[in-house]
Amino acid sequence: MMRRALAWALSGTLVAPLFLLVLLSLTRHWTWPALLPADLQTRQWRDLFALNNGLGAIVLRSLGMGTGVAVLATALGFATSRSVARHPHQDRLLVLLHLPFAVSPVVLGVSLLYAFLRVHLAGHIVGVMLAHLVFAYAYAVILLSSFWNPQVQSLTELAVALGAGRRHVWMRVLMPLARPLLTVCLLQTFLISWFDYALTLLIGGGQVSTLTITLYQYFNSGDVRLAATCALLLLLPPLAALGLNQRLRSATVATRLEAWDA
Amino acid sequence: MNRRPRTDPWIGLILLMTGAPLCMGLVFMLGYSTGLIGLLAEGFTLRHWVRALTDVQTWATLVYSVAIGAASLGASLILALGLQAALGARLRRGALRGLLFVPLAVPPIVAALLSVEVFANAGLLARLARAGGWIDTPADFPTLLYTRSGIGIVLTQMTLVTPFLLLLLDRLSRNERVADLAQVARTLGASHWQAWRGVALPVLMRAAAPVLSVYVLALMGAFEVPLLVGAQYPAMISVLIQRRLSQFDIATRPEAYVLATLYGCLSVGFLLMLFAARGRREASERGS
Repeated sequence: MMRRALAWALSGTLVAPLFLLVLLSLTRHWTWPALLPADLQTRQWRDLFALNNGLGAIVLRSLGMGTGVAVLATALGFATSRSVARHPHQDRLLVLLHLPFAVSPVVLGVSLLYAFLRVHLAGHIVGVMLAHLVFAYAYAVILLSSFWNPQVQSLTELAVALGAGRRHVWMRVLMPLARPLLTVCLLQTFLISWFDYALTLLIGGGQVSTLTITLYQYFNSGDVRLAATCALLLLLPPLAALGLNQRLRSATVATRLEAWDA
Repeated sequence: MNRRPRTDPWIGLILLMTGAPLCMGLVFMLGYSTGLIGLLAEGFTLRHWVRALTDVQTWATLVYSVAIGAASLGASLILALGLQAALGARLRRGALRGLLFVPLAVPPIVAALLSVEVFANAGLLARLARAGGWIDTPADFPTLLYTRSGIGIVLTQMTLVTPFLLLLLDRLSRNERVADLAQVARTLGASHWQAWRGVALPVLMRAAAPVLSVYVLALMGAFEVPLLVGAQYPAMISVLIQRRLSQFDIATRPEAYVLATLYGCLSVGFLLMLFAARGRREASERGS
């Protein structure tokens, strides 16, 4: 009975913040000490998507950046992970790949800033995406290294023995086998870019507006209701992806753990 | 299988994408902080280094970052261990199974925003306390945010880290067959508490150690949460670096580079020690 009550309490605690965000995004007046808002309105949502607000462009930019970083990181990471898995000094390479995670995004951003200023990448969307790619690529290689196990090696050798060419091995054997892991990798690397604030702030220098930057601006200007509306937009893609696919949920945690535990 | 050509372009890409930015960044940061490059270039000087290293705030910030990182992870771990011990297999049943994934989809900046709405003096908790008759005004509610103790940062990090650790512990306990081991201990006469403390806990901690040690580095370098709910002083290292870099007075910029170099070297050193220790342990396990 106690366990059941605890499980319900924990479930409530996990879902309550989402309700709070929805409530904040629809609030008109919510003064102390009311437990619930006095009035609700949809104005925040209308304001946010008003033509002169530019949020539509910001959402599209964030989505574009996230998708670009995810596709590049996963494609490059998949090819690189094969070399890492077969390398005699795999351990050293994995240390190297963990370095960006050891130094914080702020330190990485500061260290890249001067070079990016010199080559005119600071304050530019390409510069911000390159900075995101440092993290996303390292994550993708670490994650995808686990794919290249002896079983995959045996299947590849079998396909070659049966006359498959290099292209056929990749398209007919390796890609289908790797598809679930590649899907998780695409989602996770997308989120690295989609969730980032620090690198975008430092490298973007106020010139590259993303959803996280906009959220902070609303919060800093004291408009918590618009900030909450932005926050809901930020949560939408990852929640939709995790909610739609049970297998993706399990694989996401499993691969996150493997990535840290590599 | 282990014989690879020396010039593998993909290995070169790793060096280009991870080693090169960090090494190049370190050179630039050292150059900027010693007056060799940048807007304030005046020829080689250690003035900025001396100023930063003799500034109490530098060391207070480093100690504070380590303390907050360790406290966030420690508190989250204790809570996750308690919940895992209390809920057991129920974590994998019903709505809870899916809901535990929700915090994984919440970025730190949103978690910080929610903290302000929940833990602030006029936040949701304070309103509940008022409805319960425990307080009359927002000032009566204990201050949890923007305090020097960093309790707001720890609470916010806990909301992000605990569900992840809960999922980690649940997965590890299945992989390491902790329930079976504890059952054996109980068959041999151990109490429920003794079986958990003497068998389950050590097995779980040993299995989780690599993840936890990397995680603490991530928490020490956290930016968004301390920026939104942390105190002005002491600041966590990432926040202080960003403040020094973006201040109107550009004279503080070389100090930002000093701090970034210092923290970067310390965290990379810690990571290298971690991997070296793990390598030694694995070698000794293979040997025995």
